Amino acid sequence: MSTVQRRAFQAIVVLVPALVAFVELQHFWQPMFDRPTIIALDDLLPGSAFALAGLIAWSRRSRNRVGVLMICIGLGLLIGAGPLVQTSPLAETLNLVLGGSWTFVLLVIGSLWAVALLHLLLVFPGGRLVSRLDRVIVGLLYVAVPLGGLVPALIFSNDYQGTGSLQFAAFTTHMTSLIVYLICLLLGSGLIIRRWLLAGPARRRSMSPVIWSLVPIVLALLPPQLAFFVVTGPVSGPWHAFVFASPLFLVVLPAGFLAAMLRSEHEMSSVGDLVVKLSDGLLPEQLQPALAKTLHDPSLEVVYWLPTLGWFADLDGKPVNLPAPNSPRTATVLGDPSNPVAALVYDSSLRHEAQLVDTAAAAVRLALENARLQVQLRAQLDEVRQSRARLVEAADGERRRVERDLHDGAQQQLVTLLLSLQLAKAAALQRSDPDTAHMLDASIESLKQALGDLRTLARGLHPTILAEAGLLPAIRSLAERCPIPVEVTGDLDRLEPRLEAALYFVAAEAITNAVRHSKGQRICVDLRRRSGWASVDVSDDGVGGADVSRGSGLVGLSDRVAAVGGRLNVQSNQLHGTSLHAEVPCA
Amino acid sequence: MPERVLIVDDHQGFRRLARRLAEEVGLDVVGEASTGAEALREERRLRPDIVLLDIQLPDLDGFAVASSLSSVTAAPTVVLVSTRDASDYGPRIGRCGAIGFISKAELSAATLQAMLKA
Repeated sequence: MSTVQRRAFQAIVVLVPALVAFVELQHFWQPMFDRPTIIALDDLLPGSAFALAGLIAWSRRSRNRVGVLMICIGLGLLIGAGPLVQTSPLAETLNLVLGGSWTFVLLVIGSLWAVALLHLLLVFPGGRLVSRLDRVIVGLLYVAVPLGGLVPALIFSNDYQGTGSLQFAAFTTHMTSLIVYLICLLLGSGLIIRRWLLAGPARRRSMSPVIWSLVPIVLALLPPQLAFFVVTGPVSGPWHAFVFASPLFLVVLPAGFLAAMLRSEHEMSSVGDLVVKLSDGLLPEQLQPALAKTLHDPSLEVVYWLPTLGWFADLDGKPVNLPAPNSPRTATVLGDPSNPVAALVYDSSLRHEAQLVDTAAAAVRLALENARLQVQLRAQLDEVRQSRARLVEAADGERRRVERDLHDGAQQQLVTLLLSLQLAKAAALQRSDPDTAHMLDASIESLKQALGDLRTLARGLHPTILAEAGLLPAIRSLAERCPIPVEVTGDLDRLEPRLEAALYFVAAEAITNAVRHSKGQRICVDLRRRSGWASVDVSDDGVGGADVSRGSGLVGLSDRVAAVGGRLNVQSNQLHGTSLHAEVPCA
Repeated sequence: MPERVLIVDDHQGFRRLARRLAEEVGLDVVGEASTGAEALREERRLRPDIVLLDIQLPDLDGFAVASSLSSVTAAPTVVLVSTRDASDYGPRIGRCGAIGFISKAELSAATLQAMLKA
């Protein structure tokens, strides 16, 4: 609709209620058939309220049909009211210009407001009929109600000049309108309340003003209406007036719709708050809570597309799958679909607040781009960390395999050979052949030496005792073979094999370094488990001088500990020797 | 009457040599087994006085077999052997019910006799 058309429509919407109000108000004091004067207000007030509220809603959100429907309802109520004031200039003018039957046509058109009311309840708040059933119900009523209302118009069209017939026809049409109103109100209220009950928190919040405005209308008006139509039949007096005046209470409903719209606008304005926060500098960690607050969905998550890895990830860089279609969660992907920036994952009830979601998403787009870079870095770091851990585990696995192969293969063969030589030596001695026995003896000693070396090599690759008995016995076993005294203290239960391996090799390397370089007389090893960390401390009383930045061995240890999420600290000075502290996280 | 011995090891070459060593010190080798399950079966069948038991077996390890053997009525004397050192196994050797451990490289008629007499 162009601006000119819109302005013209707005002018009509303002002028028609004004005109009707003007002519109607002049005749308030005149009783109409058996209808009290106040009844004129039942159409006039809600009609004007709907038209005015609709105009406001439509001017603010022209794309949403809620405003237009409210205007239609208002006009329907006002058009239906005009000719009912039988002596009003409007009724007389219409009769004069259009003839009696057209007066009824106007009455029929006026009765459509109730269908429009149902239509309005069903399209709220999205502006469109959602289900096929909704479309069928509304479509049928739009056709059936005018057809039903035209019957009295056709019957009395030849006698439109007769005041009694006109009154009766108008009364019948008005009664039809009331019945249609009751049906539409009941049906619409039931459907919208059901929708509200099924909705998530965000959608409920946006619907609640309308729901609350419906409650007094339904609760206060239905019992007397039903009593009138179903139980007692036509009544007179104040009760009758109350029944006729029932649509007057509809005046609450446009207020509810306006309140819902204003709340929605207030929520849109919260996007402004978000923008202000962004301009103040929002950390990536603060983006998700800020968006969740803006969109009133505490469960909202922001996930980032990582092009180099080809998946969405959370702020920590952990992979995240987007929700499947028709699930309770919905995702809005931001940016070019082939190369998105991020996605918002939220409660599916927010789908109906698409404009709010889109606006908020647009506001945080740049911040999301920046956050994505950080997430990407974290994801890559995490990937590197995992890759390093896998490499260390693979290396440990390989060391274990080589140790086992040595044990099952070469060591077994050499042991068998050794036993054979010992038996041969015994046989030579039995045969009184000392020369052969002596030669065999030399071979036996060499073989024992070779076996010892092989065993030391295998133990260095991966000590069996570490897997068999754990870190503390393994360190004690290591200490027993050390050429300088090693005191082992502390208490430590079994840990994960990868953690035991990391701490063992740190301790073994530290002891080897102390033996080779410290010139100390004593080494102390202490093993502890405290507050989710397992640690090993190795200290000597030597000359110090160890430097992590220079020694590749210490750098290797630092890497090894870091691979399992741990830390290594080395203190070394000439007066106090070297002390090494390694700790790894353990559950 | 010589004491009856069951030799348990998955290496046939070692079993052959161990049999000769045992016989050299006057023991009667009544059977051999190459797995832990077979060792338990043969023990029930042969009721040996001594079991020379390798720690590294393809199914159960020697510690588990020794624990099972120590729980039977008239339990046999179990001597553990391994290519590795005792220090490679830590406290498990003392807890499994065996009377001792001899490294295979140290196995001889003399060490075996000394262990059995101890």
